[in-house]
Amino acid sequence: MTLRHVLKTTAISAALVSAGLMAGAVKAETLVIGYGGGQTGYLAPYDQPSLKGVQLAIDEINAAGGIGGNIPIELIVKDTRSDTAQAAVVAQELVDDGVDVMIVSCDVDPAVAAGVVAQAAEIPSVSSCASTPTLPAAVGPYMFSNYTADNLQATVLAGYARDQGYENAYVLLSRDTPYTEKLPEYFAEVFANLGGNVVAVGEYTMGQQDFSAEVTNIKGLDPQPDVIMTSAYEPDFPAFIKQLRAAGIETPVLGSDGIDSPTTFSLGDVSEGVVFSNAGFPSPGSALEAYEVAYEAKYGEPNDTIFSATGYDVIYVIAAAVEAAGSTDGPAIRDAWDNLENVEVATGTMTYKDQNRVPVRVVALNRVVNGEREHVGDFTPDPSMIPAP
Amino acid sequence: MRFVPPGTMMGSLLLAVPIAIFALIAWQTFGAALQGTVTHYLVITVAVLAFSIFTGNSGILSFGHAAFMGLAAHITGILTIPVAQKAVFLPDLPAWLAGFDMGFVGAAVIAIVIVTAVAFLIGVPIARLGGPSAAIATLGLLIIVYGVIVGARDFTRGSQALIGVPKMVDIPIALVFAVLAIVIARYFRDSLPGLELRAAREDEPAARAIGVNAPGRRLLAWTVSGAVAALAGVLLAHYLGVYSPKEFYFQITFAILVMLIVGGMTSVSGAVVGAIAVTVMIELLRNAEDRLNADYFGEPTVFGLTDIGLSLAILAILFWRREGLFGFWEIDELIATWRKKLSGSPAASTFQVRPIDGAGALAVDNVVKAFGGLRAVDGASLALRPGEIVGLIGPNGSGKTTLLGTISGALELTDGKVTLDGDDITELPAHRIARLRVGRTFQNIRLFTHLSVLDNVKVALAASGTRLPPLDMTTRSNALLAELGIGDYTDRRAGTLAYGLQRRLEIARALALEPRYLLLDEPAAGMNETESDELLRILGRLRTSRGLGLLVVDHDLRLIMRLCDRVVVLNKGQVIAEGAPGEVQANPDVIEAYLGKRRAATRTAPAS
Repeated sequence: MTLRHVLKTTAISAALVSAGLMAGAVKAETLVIGYGGGQTGYLAPYDQPSLKGVQLAIDEINAAGGIGGNIPIELIVKDTRSDTAQAAVVAQELVDDGVDVMIVSCDVDPAVAAGVVAQAAEIPSVSSCASTPTLPAAVGPYMFSNYTADNLQATVLAGYARDQGYENAYVLLSRDTPYTEKLPEYFAEVFANLGGNVVAVGEYTMGQQDFSAEVTNIKGLDPQPDVIMTSAYEPDFPAFIKQLRAAGIETPVLGSDGIDSPTTFSLGDVSEGVVFSNAGFPSPGSALEAYEVAYEAKYGEPNDTIFSATGYDVIYVIAAAVEAAGSTDGPAIRDAWDNLENVEVATGTMTYKDQNRVPVRVVALNRVVNGEREHVGDFTPDPSMIPAP
Repeated sequence: MRFVPPGTMMGSLLLAVPIAIFALIAWQTFGAALQGTVTHYLVITVAVLAFSIFTGNSGILSFGHAAFMGLAAHITGILTIPVAQKAVFLPDLPAWLAGFDMGFVGAAVIAIVIVTAVAFLIGVPIARLGGPSAAIATLGLLIIVYGVIVGARDFTRGSQALIGVPKMVDIPIALVFAVLAIVIARYFRDSLPGLELRAAREDEPAARAIGVNAPGRRLLAWTVSGAVAALAGVLLAHYLGVYSPKEFYFQITFAILVMLIVGGMTSVSGAVVGAIAVTVMIELLRNAEDRLNADYFGEPTVFGLTDIGLSLAILAILFWRREGLFGFWEIDELIATWRKKLSGSPAASTFQVRPIDGAGALAVDNVVKAFGGLRAVDGASLALRPGEIVGLIGPNGSGKTTLLGTISGALELTDGKVTLDGDDITELPAHRIARLRVGRTFQNIRLFTHLSVLDNVKVALAASGTRLPPLDMTTRSNALLAELGIGDYTDRRAGTLAYGLQRRLEIARALALEPRYLLLDEPAAGMNETESDELLRILGRLRTSRGLGLLVVDHDLRLIMRLCDRVVVLNKGQVIAEGAPGEVQANPDVIEAYLGKRRAATRTAPAS
């Protein structure tokens, strides 16, 4: 109690001193951002790095005097423990704390639960890495997406597949999560729209380990697929591709950002040539490379996931919206945000205008070569090709 | 609810009133965020009570109740999502569902009715299993129902979240149902079926021997708890407004089990207080974490304080109070015990015993019981008439206990038949035979150790089909205990009694069935001479006052010879002698069976 009391007193005196210093100037506005994410629990692998990126971006902006040089950002963070009911409570606490913008979890349920609370208070909210494209529509006009949506990734993957001249595709999906189910379905839709032929759709159960039935099925297909697409990830993706290659099937495999992990690069021959999508590639001279340098400088360790970069992005998107709005007023920020175009962020550029609050952004394609990541290219899909969520 | 003891209402009120007062103060004075926490606590209390109704009374850990919550949540969701939202998020819904939406109350009733029916059907096999296999079955249930909800894509959006469910549940609504759940849980626990189930939890064979239909009671508890779980699911659905199937899977199951472990698995008070304790702890740790990050580190640094705190709490509970904060007690029982220490014990009164018809007999005819190749009982026959005391003796392993088991229905016969007043009862299960007024005690004492001495007798009264107002049940139980000389121990847990008193309690419990025939398996085992004399006196009095027939198995030949009218001697599963004690004592076959051939030649009697 005493320690906390001392700390509190110190904080209050510090606040008084700074208030005194600013007394001469016009009272500056502050943008208060609330972050209610799953810092513990099943969302921690996404929300924790996300928070690190958020913190880094805020440090940079505040070092330059704030948004537009005069609106500093204050961050309030609360842990939802990856619990949906707690997410709603935390969102309400943040609203009560007077936040101007809210960042919510990377999973749909807690994001919606928190989003409706923010929506009711006319506070814009955004999920830094939830990829379900229906999320903003589920909440209402104050909810935004940030991350590469599943249908966006699928569109780029399908376009790439057709560009390679693949005619026949096999798609492997799992109904266990929206990500493993919908992303391959979007791919199949776009692939067919581009004149391709989806030979068969296979289904697996997450964690099933044994893919012999699916592999046998693929072997017996007529016509044989030119390409296999899946959004399976660990432990399913390694198990699947090992058994696929062991059966002598050399068909090219396309994956999504779920397999952007060290495991994929350590599989040796079986993963050689696998192409997968993600939110960005740190090519020399790119903003993402600069971000990785700044990240290591702040945290003393290299960044190991794209989710920190997309967390960093979200702050710059918010900053752009606040700057465009010229105010920290919720409705004004919302309207400006909805009209943002070509915002420069670490992973590329982002456009919200006419996208129903799900941004069009760059999707990077990567190829596994000799256990290393090779940049295939950055693609911004044609909005007309993106399937409806 | 005529058969519910008076403590039930007091016990419910002691839990419900403080919660209601707190919740109403919270509703009037708390901010929106804290109101959300209180509402969630009340909803979770309903869920914890659902688990507790089954797990607490049956002793079978359930992992499956979250499945009922999920099922109910999805049913109410589909019924209440507005038509416009359905068109967007559930485009594949059949037309008859897509075209309408309904209010909270109607949807809740439909969801609870459907889920209760489902719980009943699933409960039929699970209730028969019992024990750890039932717990595993509930785990399977959770996984299967989760799979079904995910698989019913057109109705549930598969693994995706249901969106647009009206958020209806606030503190007053949640409070009403939390209080209702407390009352349901407490009334069920104290009702006669609940008492019987708790007896079966303590010792199933003993419970069956006094007439408890354990699978039937489990099915009842399972169905009632399924209905309460459905209610919890509906409330959670309309509190969250958005949820996917994973909301009702392992995470919530374990969160609820943690509350039960902390509070105590076996009492309603434990369930309610466990939920309070865990919720309060999460709130305190969460705030401490926020303060720490904001005031001390300045930048978010420390996370997971709540998980660490909860884990430590569970470890502490398991280390110091393995039965949870409340153990096997209810809050009113604790208070009553404290007050009892100041006042005296209640006076016992007498009551009328059902008269016993002297005609008829309990008879076994050529009974065979084989365990694999071993014929433990091999063609034995004997008969017991009311008012008669028959001793059954024989060397170790001669089949006495097995024969008793076949008569009481605990063991299935290989051959032969058992008749009661000429009716064949060979195929009847133990609890049915008990209800035909055939009681028994066990060689190794089988009391319901965590129930009070009084409840041990009361449950037998209940199971025998005695239907009396609660006060009379207590009076009659007290009278039985007084008859056996243990009237001073009514509020003690049975397991804490001294050995000789436990034997007497077992007999009192058997007498609650008002048996015409009573089978006693080594009632004097482990007693000293004084205790055994006292037992002799009690048993003799039972015969004269009640006129029941006693079949006594014992090694204490002094007791047998003084007590019995007739003695049957069993050796290697066969009756080798039968007659008055004196005759049997002199029978050379008996002497040989007891002492062996060579020594038999030098001795004339086994003992005196």
